[in-house]
Amino acid sequence: MRETTRRQLTATAIVSAPLMWTLVFLFIPYLVMFTYSFYLKKFPTFVPAFEFVNYLTIISDPQYYQVLLRTAKIALTVAVCSFLIAYPLTYFLVFKVKSARLRSILYMAVIVPLWVSYLLRAYTWKTILGNEGILNSFLVWSGILSQPTDIFLYNQFSMVVTLTYIFVPFMVMPLYASLEKIPRSMIEASKDLGVGPLRTFWHVTLPLSMPGVIAGATFTICLTFGDFVAPFLVGGPNGAMIATIIQSQFGAALNWPLGAALSIIMLIIVLTIISVSDRLERAGRIDLN
Amino acid sequence: MKNLRKVLQSAGAVLAVMGMATAAQAAGEVNILTWEGYADDSFIKPFEEATGCKVSATYVGSNDDFAPKLAAGGGVYDLVSPSIDSTKALIEAGFIDPADMSRLPRYEEIYEKFRTAEGINHDGKVYGVPFSWGSIPFMYRTDKFETPPTSLNILWDPALEGKISLWDDKSAIYVASRVIGNHNIYDLSDEELEAAKAKLIEQKPLVRKYWATAGELVDLYAAGEVWISNTWGGYQSALLAEQNIPVQEFIPEEGAEGWMDSWLIVKGTPNEDCVYEFINMATTEEGQCGMSNVNGYSSANPVAAKNCMSEEQFKALHQDDVDYLDSLLLWTNLRDRLEHYTNTWNAVKAAN
Repeated sequence: MRETTRRQLTATAIVSAPLMWTLVFLFIPYLVMFTYSFYLKKFPTFVPAFEFVNYLTIISDPQYYQVLLRTAKIALTVAVCSFLIAYPLTYFLVFKVKSARLRSILYMAVIVPLWVSYLLRAYTWKTILGNEGILNSFLVWSGILSQPTDIFLYNQFSMVVTLTYIFVPFMVMPLYASLEKIPRSMIEASKDLGVGPLRTFWHVTLPLSMPGVIAGATFTICLTFGDFVAPFLVGGPNGAMIATIIQSQFGAALNWPLGAALSIIMLIIVLTIISVSDRLERAGRIDLN
Repeated sequence: MKNLRKVLQSAGAVLAVMGMATAAQAAGEVNILTWEGYADDSFIKPFEEATGCKVSATYVGSNDDFAPKLAAGGGVYDLVSPSIDSTKALIEAGFIDPADMSRLPRYEEIYEKFRTAEGINHDGKVYGVPFSWGSIPFMYRTDKFETPPTSLNILWDPALEGKISLWDDKSAIYVASRVIGNHNIYDLSDEELEAAKAKLIEQKPLVRKYWATAGELVDLYAAGEVWISNTWGGYQSALLAEQNIPVQEFIPEEGAEGWMDSWLIVKGTPNEDCVYEFINMATTEEGQCGMSNVNGYSSANPVAAKNCMSEEQFKALHQDDVDYLDSLLLWTNLRDRLEHYTNTWNAVKAAN
């Protein structure tokens, strides 16, 4: 009896630390945010209340769904671009590079940029895409353009380029894990049955790597959804995203209640994406045993 | 057990000594939350040596940073220096103590327009000591314009597509409203805000980038991205001159906004003596010319400025010209209209 009690106590102690952490740093802040979202803005700050005014504003004023749609569009584009770049790269790493040493070096080369400041990496793109930047200088020098063009920087294109570059590792990591797990015997079996490499890829490799694709897409979409640095650094007049608007509510507008309501809506959207992707991943899971 | 008690006793002694040490330091320090150039070593170092008050400065990036930092509480700061459109909210929220005028012997030397500003006077008491001021003029690349621009209408000229920038701030609404002809820029009705919004959305295809920080605007000019924009008078143009980028500031026909920063005393500061020492230094010769030399802004105390500036600098900073100061539309707190202005500006940025 004493033995079991002690074991239970130990178990509780082990579990309670992370539980406390989650409670203090996740649930309580979300609860505070949720509470604020029903408060009312009143000069000079705001007053406690239980009103749905902030949510009504978000529904009735077109600027919020315009920005949400734009954010979703950019997030999806970034996810697709990341996939198009990361899949061939990871495929090459896992199946074509024979030396394990070389493979891990190349893999690290993809991951290492994550250790460089995000701000610095985003800033670099300004010097590449700008009016007097590397790309424009090259195009003018090589005679392709007669004068520098504005179309590379300060628009949604430059935001997608920057965000894709920054979030590609988050696509590579889960893809690498799921491609590496595919038993080579499956691919060999497909070959033995006389199926060509393209059809093997389409019917065997790609379906088996879907969990990695879904995880990577979830990462890139959710990370882009909350980004406000890219709009700030490389976005143009049409660059404002939902996080930019939330930031201005907490800052310039001094309207924390509306900012909190927007944050709650964003949280719901992101949680929905995560639970949908979780379901997709489960539905697509193939038992290899 | 005995050992434990000993350990606890010595730990207590150490804590007590540490406590005394912080108390001793607290007697001679002042913690300020301010703009970067307002605590420059050139005039802070001599002040520290003369008074023994140690100055610790924390910097803000925008006027929006003051309220959240003070709302978080905790007696971290003794002095703050927000602009005149942000002071009233801090005062009415109860973050600020009124100034003891008997300890500010040279207050009367400050421009009357500032001393009587609604933003620092509340319930018959003075809550802020004016420090610096300037305008929000426009600036252009002199090598890109054959005839110097004089009107804000040029910001809607399709010939300048992709070469225009505006401050990413409610200030854009002030600009558009003046172009439309609504000069009551701090008191716009909902319809007038809608009109400004439509005007700014019309301009969007011509805009290269809305600039957010002083450094960003300098980069935009230096990289050849932008030829015309509004600016913080005297500041970015000086930084660009250092890089040999030819720019010229101008006050458009439609007028310009003016700003003024003041020192406000945070409620319940334990460092009152050093706080008043600091304000008196800042608003007289040492601090006024120190600030003007570092930032290129005008001084709020023209008497002190006259004593410590060269004649050219005094003129260049418009210290001799009260009409210039009067012509500026001095920033005003928008009170409960602020959120409408900000949302209008957000709607412009949200529009496709």
